[in-house]
Amino acid sequence: MENVIVTRGLTKVFGANGNAVYALRGIELEVARGEFVALVGPSGSGKSTLMAIIGCLDSPSAGTYALDGEPVERLSGAALARIRNEKVGFVFQTYNLLPRATVSRNVELPMLYAGIGRKQRRTRALELLEKVGIPEKADRLPSELSGGQRQRVAIARALANSPALLLADEPTGALDSKTGAEVLGLFQQLNRQGHTVLLVTHDPKIAALASRRVELYDGLVLAPEPRAA
Amino acid sequence: MNATGAFGLRVAESWTEIRENLGRSALQALGVMVGVASVLGGFSISDSHEARSDERWRKLGGMERLNVQPAAAIKDGTPSALQSANLGLRNLDADEGEEMNRKAVNATSVQKNARARVRSTYADQTRQISGIGGDFLPLNGYEIERGRLFSTSELEAGAPVCLLGAEAAAVFFPTGDAIGESVSVEDARVVVVGVLRELVFRWRDGDGNAFAWRNRLIAVPSTYVATRMQGDRYQRVDRVTFKIPDLTLMEGFANDLVAVLKANHRLQDDFRIDDIAARMRKRQSQGQVYNIVFLLSGVLSLIGGGMVNVNIQLASLKERVREIGVRMAIGASGREIFKSFLTEAMLLTMLGSLVGLLLGVLFSKAICSFLEIPALLRPSSFLLAFGVAAGFGVLFALYPAWKASRLSPMEALRYE
Ligand SMILES: Nc1ncnc2c1ncn2[C@@H]1O[C@H](COP(=O)(O)OP(=O)(O)OP(=O)(O)O)[C@@H](O)[C@H]1O
Ligand SMILES: [Mg+2]
Repeated sequence: MENVIVTRGLTKVFGANGNAVYALRGIELEVARGEFVALVGPSGSGKSTLMAIIGCLDSPSAGTYALDGEPVERLSGAALARIRNEKVGFVFQTYNLLPRATVSRNVELPMLYAGIGRKQRRTRALELLEKVGIPEKADRLPSELSGGQRQRVAIARALANSPALLLADEPTGALDSKTGAEVLGLFQQLNRQGHTVLLVTHDPKIAALASRRVELYDGLVLAPEPRAA
Repeated sequence: MNATGAFGLRVAESWTEIRENLGRSALQALGVMVGVASVLGGFSISDSHEARSDERWRKLGGMERLNVQPAAAIKDGTPSALQSANLGLRNLDADEGEEMNRKAVNATSVQKNARARVRSTYADQTRQISGIGGDFLPLNGYEIERGRLFSTSELEAGAPVCLLGAEAAAVFFPTGDAIGESVSVEDARVVVVGVLRELVFRWRDGDGNAFAWRNRLIAVPSTYVATRMQGDRYQRVDRVTFKIPDLTLMEGFANDLVAVLKANHRLQDDFRIDDIAARMRKRQSQGQVYNIVFLLSGVLSLIGGGMVNVNIQLASLKERVREIGVRMAIGASGREIFKSFLTEAMLLTMLGSLVGLLLGVLFSKAICSFLEIPALLRPSSFLLAFGVAAGFGVLFALYPAWKASRLSPMEALRYE
């Protein structure tokens, strides 16, 4: 099975010499297409930092990373933007929706940057909202929605350009357990439909639902488990 | 990114963004609007006032006239032989001055005044009599209303004929046409051959006529005053006036004239010539005071508008940088963000400027109507107001985009 993510010796250092923080210290990680991987580890272990690099939101200090077979370290800013747009769907703990844009427009934005026409964007956005279970909220503002509903909007937005990889950094962290379970169910459903999912969580129960668990400790992958066939 | 590359679509997108962020956009446009309105208004009011001032000078014929008057050659003591032998300012001086530089001089007049008792059937007053020659009437803005000008032979011979200003005609002949009637000047009969059109200039509606005194004119040939009234066979005059329409030639002409007249007057300073430099200064200083005042207020309000703008931008900077982080996270390139910010800023600047220009025009009209002068709007003021405001508007709007473009999406998302 081909790998969507391959990292070798991935390192991230914040700050300069004196007060340098080694957030990642040589991450070796492979994620195959169609996997549902739970990334766990104590606070400060480097989960978010790793996710940002895998999502091309930030660049590593050292090491290599290939996304969908394409090495990304040497790509220009514009090329990275294109990868974020087409290959990665990112879901944040705090949703990160544009507060004054309607739900539909939030979902349409990645398509706008992909150069898709107005009508087509709207049609696809409505499809996606249907898929995440809130078709009736298309013309509402994010502030008019509950937390769970907002996270569904964020997931619909992440899916807009049919990315190879769905990344979620504690997507249920701001939700109550019931809503969290619903959102998690949505990720499971998407994974069954063929999406590759990499998800950060603190919750062992959630981690148990994943096809594989990767644990980080102090910037290193702690227990590289054998992959499920 | 093809579809958004097209300018029309980009504008449509920006319009959507503006509507989504109405409050912020309105404030941003407001900064531009206030700046444009005050710059345009300020400059227009200043221009209007200056134009009005110029108009008065023009009507008076003041700027383009250079006067030469006789002066006492000796300040104290007894006059030398040379000094007493001098003949003073004469018709000859006018002719030579005109000859000297025909290109610069467009009209020349001489004037010789006397006071005399003037009588008609209706009035008996002591008045100034103006002996005139050359182009006196056009030079002073007078026009014949009825009757005719002096003929060349009347001017040469010093014939007993006169022209009456509107006021003089009304005083001495209140009931009917003065033409063909005569007045007594001292004891000589002088025939009225023409009546002049009334001259009127009011600073504002409702003000008195600033030119009223000029309608009191009683004009006879200068030769008549010199020979018949004063018995001066040298035809001395009280004033020679040259009209020099091209003001840039004025100073040079004045200098040359001094040299010629001095030579004519045996090197004696028995004449006085207008101080051109002082006059220019006076005219300019008036306009400049207004220009400085309004330029200052324009600049101040631009700075004010700019500050408002900057504050709005800085207040929303954190939010904006985060928003940019979100956009970058879902696939916008730095370039894309820059372009959309630029388009948005230009749209807002355009809208703000349009409203600002409108307000500026109204502002100028209001102030000018309060000052009761006609409002003048120069295209250059429009351009200046628009250009400066547009510069500020775009500059300040691009700041957050520039700031964010230097960050990675993650840093932008975490921006504090
Ligand atoms: N922008 C940054 N500048 C400096 N240090 C940073 C930055 N981002 C992260 N770090 C540091 O890197 C380390 C890893 O942080 P990271 O956010 O990846 O942890 P995490 O595993 O996501 O923790 P949590 O579970 O609390 O979210 C921490 O020590 C953190 O302080
Ligand atoms: Mg984290």
